[in-house]
Amino acid sequence: MDEFQEILQDFLVESFELVEKLDEDLVELENTPEDLELLNGIFRVAHTVKGASSFLNFDILTHLTHHMEDVLNKARHGDLIITPDIMDVVLESIDLMKSLLNTIRDTSADAGIDVADCVIKLDKISGGDGDVPTPVATKAPEPVVEEVVEDEEDEPDYDNMDPDELEAEIEKLLSQRQDEDRAKREAKIEAGEAVLSVPEIIDEDVAPEPKAEEPIVSAPVTTPVPVKKAPIIQKEVKKELPKGDAKAAAPTKRAPATVEQTIRVDVKRLDHLMNLIGELVLAKNRLIKINDDVEERYEGEEFLEELNQVVSIVSLVTTDLQIAVMKTRMLPIGKVFNKFPRMIRDLTRELNKKIELEISGEDTELDKSIVEEIGDPLVHIIRNSCDHGVEVPDVRVASGKSETGTITLKAYNEGNQIVIQIDDDGKGLDAEVLKDKAIEKGLITEKEADSMSEKEAFLLIMKPGFSTAASVTNVSGRGVGMDVVKTNIDKVNGIIDVESKKGEGTSMKLKIPLTLAIIQALLVGVQEEYYAIPLASVLETVRISRDEIYTVEGRSVMRLRDDVLSLVHIGDIFEVERILDASEHAYVVVLGLGTSKLGLIVDTLVGQEEIVIKSLGDYLKGIEGIAGATIRGDGGVTLIVDVVALMEMAKGVKAMAMIDSSAGDPVNNEKTKASDYTVMIVDDSKTDRMIMRKALEPMGITLVEASDGQEALNILKQGEHNFDCMLVDIEMPRMDGYTLATEIKKYNKYKNLPLIAVTSRTGKSDRMRGVESGMIEYITKPYSSDYLSSVVQRNVNFKAEFL
Amino acid sequence: MSDKLKQIINQQGEQHNTATLDQSDDIVQLVGFIIGEEEYAVPILAIQEIIKPFTWTRVPQVPPYVLGVFNLRGSVIPLIDLRVKFGLQLKKHNEETRFFVLKQDDEVAGFVIDKLTAAIRIKKENIGPAPDTISGKDTMIDGVGKQEDRIITILKVDKLLERDF
Repeated sequence: MDEFQEILQDFLVESFELVEKLDEDLVELENTPEDLELLNGIFRVAHTVKGASSFLNFDILTHLTHHMEDVLNKARHGDLIITPDIMDVVLESIDLMKSLLNTIRDTSADAGIDVADCVIKLDKISGGDGDVPTPVATKAPEPVVEEVVEDEEDEPDYDNMDPDELEAEIEKLLSQRQDEDRAKREAKIEAGEAVLSVPEIIDEDVAPEPKAEEPIVSAPVTTPVPVKKAPIIQKEVKKELPKGDAKAAAPTKRAPATVEQTIRVDVKRLDHLMNLIGELVLAKNRLIKINDDVEERYEGEEFLEELNQVVSIVSLVTTDLQIAVMKTRMLPIGKVFNKFPRMIRDLTRELNKKIELEISGEDTELDKSIVEEIGDPLVHIIRNSCDHGVEVPDVRVASGKSETGTITLKAYNEGNQIVIQIDDDGKGLDAEVLKDKAIEKGLITEKEADSMSEKEAFLLIMKPGFSTAASVTNVSGRGVGMDVVKTNIDKVNGIIDVESKKGEGTSMKLKIPLTLAIIQALLVGVQEEYYAIPLASVLETVRISRDEIYTVEGRSVMRLRDDVLSLVHIGDIFEVERILDASEHAYVVVLGLGTSKLGLIVDTLVGQEEIVIKSLGDYLKGIEGIAGATIRGDGGVTLIVDVVALMEMAKGVKAMAMIDSSAGDPVNNEKTKASDYTVMIVDDSKTDRMIMRKALEPMGITLVEASDGQEALNILKQGEHNFDCMLVDIEMPRMDGYTLATEIKKYNKYKNLPLIAVTSRTGKSDRMRGVESGMIEYITKPYSSDYLSSVVQRNVNFKAEFL
Repeated sequence: MSDKLKQIINQQGEQHNTATLDQSDDIVQLVGFIIGEEEYAVPILAIQEIIKPFTWTRVPQVPPYVLGVFNLRGSVIPLIDLRVKFGLQLKKHNEETRFFVLKQDDEVAGFVIDKLTAAIRIKKENIGPAPDTISGKDTMIDGVGKQEDRIITILKVDKLLERDF
């Protein structure tokens, strides 16, 4: 039954939200047991869940919440003071309620959880101050449920009504309800200003008040269905009404504030929207690139300005759109923080410690997918702080601290990142103890331990299997928790920073990017390849000359202000083939990750660009050092560097190939016959090429012709031939001989390739230019064929036996 | 789909009209291609498209037969050179080189082949198992199809798309 499913879904979503809120409220209630507003709120939650669950025929849940309601009702009317012991029972019942809700979500039924004990306890409490315990408590829960459901409200016997009467009754109740709604609405309009100022937050965070209406809303929808169902609906309607009236006085004041202009949207739709935006960003990048190209080609043309304007508008709107869509996916981090007061409370009782939790910045917003990922890590960190960080009261007093420990949990924006900071004023971390433990567990060697900085030692707590706890307790000590933290934070490209002072406390910072799909990146070039480095990990870029690089123990390092920065060439990490010789200067991208830094040498810096992260797919997933790929403005694919992995890989790269570049020249192959020698003739005149060919053919060598510099370069790049020598004309279209020579000499591989100029230019300055560009011989036209042949023979080391 | 493929399919269609091959389920439709000297084929339904070669981006730390990744209308797709995978020398791409984009479930990859031959309709009974020496579950060969004058090796698409490094 779809309708039922739909109602059920709504019920579940709302109930979970309510319960989440409940935890927080209850803990607060324990501190201020007289806070009537709070009590009312909690009571309403229990009541709403009860109402809705009885409507949906979840008898066990109804039974439980009914008794919770009793206790809370008493407290609300001042007949009962909430003591920690009572609170324990109430919290227990809420836990049961949660598991019941979970069961309902998974199985659509609330069977399988025994609530009898808790109900008895609840009942004892509510009966405890004078009332005779109700028979419900002593009876087995199941039959009672029936009784409770059937008899708890004084209502007409709908089961025995005939359909017409029923219709009339429904009509009556509905109109009553409508009147009431109207009254409420008017109240809202009166408070119009307040309504307007309510921010439009698109999330599920709808306050409890409207929930009570839920069954009513469904009532008209359900009326046409068979009469059999009607009694239930009516009971619900009936039940709601008196409560509504009773509450009317108090909540009308609150009503306007709880109205939010929200709409529930399936996350999948938002994801799809985000994907489309991603495509749009790619298209925008492409447009910008085309615009640049057009600008270059048609400089000064009038239509350019118009095009420019359009392009900038498109790019502006795309960016805004992207931010807007990103915002719809944002949730306040308070959603995660909410569960911690309760957790701390439970932990303090369990561990016999006194701990206060201070939360700030819960309004800070984060992408939904990230909010989901950071819940677990935070639980582990806070448990850790409670168990290992904050000391027991005696110890605290002895060391001159206040008896109550404080854990501060705060979230704030920092640039493109969200920082979640967890501080405690406990005993802090001891780097030496951590190192000893790690060595003991075989996680690091002693040598590694010696070279570790304090900060690096702190990060040891993130290693799987690491634990300093002497014994495994219920709370922690298995050495799993902090590993989970690291894994999850890594998953969202976050960074963990640990600071600690022995005896004063520990501070942990989780730095998390705002969103996962689109990031700012620095594009760098190496040889003819490009890579994107997430800008969040880039601290700075420096231009250095080759002699600023020193070698220490086989590793390249450089001085960066007062620090020594270890260097690695991006080409060594990604196995880039070195064809072009690196220039005198190189760029160093300083990568920072927590406390560690690394200088990444690249050939060129291309610039900053907004990139959309795409996965490499199953076939290529898990390639070390590559986090994904993106499509650039020109339609090409650029790989995104995984900085965490790259830093790990850099440790393995010892010598740097940038210095000992491949001097072993593959060109010098053993020649076994005359045709193994290959010479390229580059001349734009066919006649000249023919003359040269005629002069050289008698030697039996292989000849390849090119009609200009560009073509020659292409032939060379294709690498089909291993040339032993090139005869180059100077004056040629497209690319002249000098440029060709300069280009060729850029390739390390061809550094030693003899280039012979064959030209009619005889001026001294021409010869000089030839030498400068790398020509080793200069033959002036006209020449005799013997002369040419002998020059070539000399330059290719032609073996005499082939003559 | 490239014009050439359409053309070939048309030609084949004509041939088969004259040959009056019976149109039952016993017919397997394949697309044939050449790698090195051999003719291979894959089921026509596994082919998402066949495109002319264009630029790709090299990916580090992969076996030599994985050339890299390329952009297929916004998706990043791996490119695998079947010549190298089959132990032949890497060859420069020429006019006849094509990228075969194969798809099975969610797995998509591009494969470089030397030359496209034809769409092939072949009776099931004319397909024999792979020779004993190379059969087994690790083989990429699904079977051997016999046509009048030639033998075609039929490849397993799932094996082709399976990462084996």
